[in-house]
Amino acid sequence: MWSYTFRRVLATIPTLLAVITVCYLLLHLTPGGPFDGERKVSAAVLANLQAKYHLDLPLWQQYLYYIKSLLQGDLGASFRYADWSVNDLVGKALPVSAAIGGGAIVISLFIGVALGIVAALRQNSIIDYLVMLLGNIGGAFPSFVLGPVLVMVFAIGLEWLPAGGWDDFSLRYMVLPIALLVFINISTIGRVMRGSMIEVLSSNFIRTARAKGLPMRTIVLRHALKPALMPVVSVIGPLAISSITAAVVTETVFGLPGLGKLIVNGAANRDYTLVLGLVVLVTVITVVLNLLVDLAYALLDPKIRY
Amino acid sequence: MSHNKSLRVATAAVALALAGTTGFAMAAQVPAGVKLAAKQELIRNTGSEPESLDPVLAESVPANTITMDLFEGLTATDSFGKVMPGVAESWKQTSPTTWVFKLRKNAKWSDGSTVTASDFVYGWQRFVEPKTASPYASTYGIFILNGKEITEGKKPASSLGVKAVDKYTLEVQTPYPVPFMPSLVANTQLAPLPKATIDKFGKDWTKPGKMVSNGAFALKDWQVNSKVVVEKNAQYWDVKNVQLGKITYLPIEDHNADVKLYESGENDWVLELPSGTYDKYKAQYPKEIRNAPFLGLRYYSLNNKDPLLKDVRVRKALSMVIDRDILAKKVTADGQAPAYSAIVAGTAGADVTSYDWAKWPMAKRVEEAKKLLAEAGVKPGSKLKFAYNTSDYHKKMAIFAASEWKSKLGLNTELESLEFKVLLKKRHDADYQIARNGWVADYNDATTFLALVQCDNDQNDNKNCNAKAEALIKQGSDSTDQAKRKQLFTQAVKMIMDDYPMIPLLQYTAPRLVKSYVGGYGKNPMDRYRGKDLYIIQH
Repeated sequence: MWSYTFRRVLATIPTLLAVITVCYLLLHLTPGGPFDGERKVSAAVLANLQAKYHLDLPLWQQYLYYIKSLLQGDLGASFRYADWSVNDLVGKALPVSAAIGGGAIVISLFIGVALGIVAALRQNSIIDYLVMLLGNIGGAFPSFVLGPVLVMVFAIGLEWLPAGGWDDFSLRYMVLPIALLVFINISTIGRVMRGSMIEVLSSNFIRTARAKGLPMRTIVLRHALKPALMPVVSVIGPLAISSITAAVVTETVFGLPGLGKLIVNGAANRDYTLVLGLVVLVTVITVVLNLLVDLAYALLDPKIRY
Repeated sequence: MSHNKSLRVATAAVALALAGTTGFAMAAQVPAGVKLAAKQELIRNTGSEPESLDPVLAESVPANTITMDLFEGLTATDSFGKVMPGVAESWKQTSPTTWVFKLRKNAKWSDGSTVTASDFVYGWQRFVEPKTASPYASTYGIFILNGKEITEGKKPASSLGVKAVDKYTLEVQTPYPVPFMPSLVANTQLAPLPKATIDKFGKDWTKPGKMVSNGAFALKDWQVNSKVVVEKNAQYWDVKNVQLGKITYLPIEDHNADVKLYESGENDWVLELPSGTYDKYKAQYPKEIRNAPFLGLRYYSLNNKDPLLKDVRVRKALSMVIDRDILAKKVTADGQAPAYSAIVAGTAGADVTSYDWAKWPMAKRVEEAKKLLAEAGVKPGSKLKFAYNTSDYHKKMAIFAASEWKSKLGLNTELESLEFKVLLKKRHDADYQIARNGWVADYNDATTFLALVQCDNDQNDNKNCNAKAEALIKQGSDSTDQAKRKQLFTQAVKMIMDDYPMIPLLQYTAPRLVKSYVGGYGKNPMDRYRGKDLYIIQH
């Protein structure tokens, strides 16, 4: 397994390079540059700005310059946020996104799996319908609708929690954004778990277990859960990636200083280094989470060997 | 003191200042009978993350809102937009191109050291130095002798026309008469800078714990995309008149989220209401809605080089048929005033001009516009292409304009919604036919708006040029007689606007919600509110 992990990590290098190159070219091909503003800067000031950020060099030289600093662990200076380096900006936003997205994914996994199991065991009963209805609401309503509803009820109506903002990982500020992401995620996890559990429960080895007179609780937890989790594990990777790196709407609704907001603003401001830095980060997170998912398969299914 | 009275005092101060005599200290005024709250803390949304807290690198309104509290220039503007003494306690125009500023001896940096004339010399030289790459270097730098040449790398920064005559006297040379100098130096791009701190920390000098500043407030905390917190600067020369102890600036971009935070009590100051909600919030929070026009113009740029629009008759026809009254009252519906000139009401240095047809009934305007189009050979069914940046507000206005051109002139408009940077690029490169545009004054003088329509000016997206008007502007700029300067500028604007280089539409207002307990909020034509002038009323 270790050699498999090592090979997978090595394989990320060409992936990263390809992603950076494509993104680099796309950014430079997009009309409008980092210094195009409502107030057009004079040719002289533009030349000064371009020299400051090496944009006066030919594109290939700029690219090599970027790769060189990247190899030294330096994501460069932000074009927009002059007082910060990209390392600073990413370093500040990542923990926020990891806390919100990571917290949400762990909670949604537990709730989604539990709901899926309950719905599968009481298939086509009122409980099944209620659970699936709850899940479908999370899936059907977009977060920009659900988010403000949560704010209206819990922040403005009941005044239990703040309407938004961030205060050094204070739990009060994390509850609503996490709740919103959980609500959205459990619809996917719950539905996948329900379908998978129904399939597993109708398989031969479960019938055998029942025939042996094992209690239902033991059958589900000891025999059915592991194989039923396989499809859930498959969806958890993409869900975690989007919850951590692409929770733009959640961050906007709650005014969170996370990665999603940085990516959107970076692209809008043509902050080349910031966007590239975030692309590197998202690629690494994607590779790592996909690797973890693959390794989790081996834990769940003894037949899988790496 | 009532607002009216404080306005009169402020006006008197500025009159004295502009007359070239001495100004006097004027602090935040709390009207008699107003009880201040024990907790003097304000939370205000600035609309986005500041790109920098270095005053010379600050470009956006959010960044400048914060640097205005952290730094103070030779002068400052109060809540009514009036020029007040800042670090300079008095100033005098000693010749048409020379200004002398006398600095107060008790102005201090937040580390307790004295603010001297050489701090201004250092700050200004750093501002125009090409290596600093300040986006404002050419905007303000051109008004200081050699500033233009320095930003272009043709002269060294040391040749800038600013000199410390002694520790507390600053002499400023200008390339031509700059009568609005007292208003110009209120911008914090021209604030003094702490050389020792900048030398010591480099780029990191703007971080909490490192920044040394001379304004009414000092930096306490800065969490990117979350908040900037400043606290009263105990070393500030007028600290006894600073009421607020702490200000938290939020970078909330989403207008709805801004209002939600306000309603839940976590924000005292909504920067901008969501599009189309002004009437609703005005009814809901009558005591908290604040709305005043400021020096900003919404307009549509017409590409004067475009094959169709190069004919002035076509440009005139397009401008005539847009009903600004309906646009202001029904479409945007947030208190804006119709505009018919490149200069908006309240601008110093030129009068607002208008068109004769602005008072005509619409039927007569349409008839005249149709005649103009027929003369120009433009037939109904002709196509126009209109570019705007993606936003509900701009879209609403664009649809209205397109419907006016369609229903009144029979012209078909193709609307093109673009990402903001793409629109900016197209506009600056004149790669458009008609484009949404807007401008907010950098300082209160007609020249800030004249830039939009002057030949070869970087800000002129219309690419129009009227040589005769240009000569009048030059004549006005060189004149030391203020009345003559104003008359020449007004004449020039009228002449340019008769060429219909663009379609002026509305004068900006700032419809927002500010809690009724926030005192000191005036009607400011520059829409700038310093923390020094604000206070929290007992509630």
